[in-house]
Amino acid sequence: MTRSDLFYPIILAVIITGLSVSCSRDEGASQGARSGITTITYWCSSNPNEIALAKELVADWNKGDHAVQVKLQPIPASQSSEEVLLAAIAGGTTPDICSNMWPGAMDEFINAGGLVRLDQFPDFMEYNLQRVPESLMGTFAASDGHYYQLPWKTNPVMIMYNKKMFREAGIAVLPKTYSELLAAGSKLTLDRDGDGQIDQWLGFRNIKPIWWQRFFDYYAFYIAASGGQTLFDGDDLIFENDASVEVFDLFRQIYKRGYFPITEFSGDQFVGEKLAISITGPYSISSVDRFKPAGFEYDFFPIPVPDDYQGDLYTYGDHKNIAIFSTTEYPQETWEFAKYLISRQADLRLLETSNQIPIRKDLLLDSLYAQYFTEHPMMIKFAEQAIFTRGVDGAAELKEIFDAISQEWEACALFDARTPTESIHRAAERAKVIIAWNRAE
Amino acid sequence: MKSIMASMRGEGFTGAVMSLPYIIFFSVFIAFPIGFSFVLMFHKWNIITPMEWVGMRNFGRLFHDAQFFKAILNTLTFLVIHIPLQIIIALLLAVGLNQKIRLRGLFRSLYFMPVIVSGVVITIMWRQLFGFETGLLNMLLLKLGLAKIPWINHPSYAMPSIAIMATWKNVGLYVVLFLVGLQNIPRFLYEAADIDGAGPIQKFWYITLPALNNTMVLVIILSTIGGFSLFIEPFVMTGGGPMNSTLSAMLYIYNQAFYFGHMGYSATLGIFFAGIVLLVILVQKKIVEQD
Repeated sequence: MTRSDLFYPIILAVIITGLSVSCSRDEGASQGARSGITTITYWCSSNPNEIALAKELVADWNKGDHAVQVKLQPIPASQSSEEVLLAAIAGGTTPDICSNMWPGAMDEFINAGGLVRLDQFPDFMEYNLQRVPESLMGTFAASDGHYYQLPWKTNPVMIMYNKKMFREAGIAVLPKTYSELLAAGSKLTLDRDGDGQIDQWLGFRNIKPIWWQRFFDYYAFYIAASGGQTLFDGDDLIFENDASVEVFDLFRQIYKRGYFPITEFSGDQFVGEKLAISITGPYSISSVDRFKPAGFEYDFFPIPVPDDYQGDLYTYGDHKNIAIFSTTEYPQETWEFAKYLISRQADLRLLETSNQIPIRKDLLLDSLYAQYFTEHPMMIKFAEQAIFTRGVDGAAELKEIFDAISQEWEACALFDARTPTESIHRAAERAKVIIAWNRAE
Repeated sequence: MKSIMASMRGEGFTGAVMSLPYIIFFSVFIAFPIGFSFVLMFHKWNIITPMEWVGMRNFGRLFHDAQFFKAILNTLTFLVIHIPLQIIIALLLAVGLNQKIRLRGLFRSLYFMPVIVSGVVITIMWRQLFGFETGLLNMLLLKLGLAKIPWINHPSYAMPSIAIMATWKNVGLYVVLFLVGLQNIPRFLYEAADIDGAGPIQKFWYITLPALNNTMVLVIILSTIGGFSLFIEPFVMTGGGPMNSTLSAMLYIYNQAFYFGHMGYSATLGIFFAGIVLLVILVQKKIVEQD
């Protein structure tokens, strides 16, 4: 093969590549230019229920007389939405608006200048306070005191239980305290087929030391035991306290007595009637209803608290919020669309389509939602609990701190290698080192 | 002469064009990341905020990071279990498959199959097998009247279990390498041994093993490099637990970069770890050459 033999194929390949790249780049813009319509991009969660919800909402918005049209796209697949958003911020490819923002990641996005400050819009606070309790609203402020997220929905973590198993075990009163939970565990952990092996347990938690797994055991129980505290108070770490120690000790007892197995399970063993309880949120309802066997009855109760606890029953809220990205060319128009996403009607659709709770203080009083709650009585408990939820602190080191807690959780709760006090102290010390490393000038 | 030069120029051009894809690949995916890692070592960077110069601070952190050294120790533990296990099994299988047995071709293909299957798929499959309560292996043990084993759910068992799985996955490759080595041993050596009255064990010990020396060196070096890059198995199967017993150095480096956003620190760990790997390989090479 000579130089001339290769020349034309190479030139052709270069031209084809160039044309295809330039065409694909200009596709969106040229569409807008041709039609003369301004379009903003909206990323929703990739969960099928939320995609369905977003499709409905966007279709309705686009039918209306608005300054902008909305183009919907589920968040591209990845291990987590935060990873995708980080990559998008780094690459300057963020959408105008996204409705799957985890509050724990906000600090990183804010520090990177990736988000629009929402309290610059004159009606921001007024619009939100009509919907969100003032005490909860404050927890969504960034460390600079400004707001970059629009509180949207919460999935309060509660205990889902198998009513038949509880009945058969003779448990008439649902466990409210740690002693009652342990007592229930002794009755619900059984060898049903008499082969000498336990085949029904009180519950189960994923034992992998992955930081976010702790939201559904340690953190939900810690918030409940501490009366609604989070890991930080301002800049101070406060989780080295009695509430943390009591939660570690509770789970140490649970694992030691075999009420939760230390294993991997495939499939939903709660629906498979091997587990009496599951620590979860309202999003589980649709999946349990879909896969439950005939005659399967279940309900929810709040996270138990230490025996001497008195006060309101809090839990982890697993909030997801809405944010506008600083790459938007239409902040005002996007803000109008954001308000539409948390409107009364949109909140009703959120309930109906995805069984998730809008952060709305009048949810059980507003007649618009009455029919939904009549048809879904189980959701009333979540609506009542939603007011008493806490999210996560907006600290950049949050993942690492939860990782440190996760390590100690394994050592103490699962393997009884350290006492609860020791473990909490070690986690707190490690958290301080992490903060010192990260914040050192 | 002129036409020879023209032809050489033509060949040079063709060669350059043919090499271009790999040169681009090498530059983008190997040379640039390595060079960039050296820059990152002295910076704090989480991808989305501007890089911040931190001088030697990442090194200071490294030498106080007990978890990283635990991860290196775990990786070495894995190597100590995995390499001998892999060599012994691969060698035995290769010797077996080198005999004139029925369906030899089929067996050779079967043993190689796990090598070409995705590591993630194999790890997920073994996770099901290793399950404490519902895993097939424990069901089998119960049927045999034995106690269940917490394969991946106890710090003492988890890394050996991962080594077993990794051996199962990779052994086929080393069987092929040993088979090639075995087939290169001259037949007359065995015939001479037969005349001298040597038994099968003596023939294996005094002929087969010494003749496979070069293959053995290759296998040891390849499995050492492969073992140091232990990642998929703990990432998918155990997340590094229980109690960090399967936290490999690569998993820890990955977590620092992509979970916690410490790109600079992760690059420092990566380069430090690459130095350790290089050192181990050099020592191995030296020992083998002396033998």
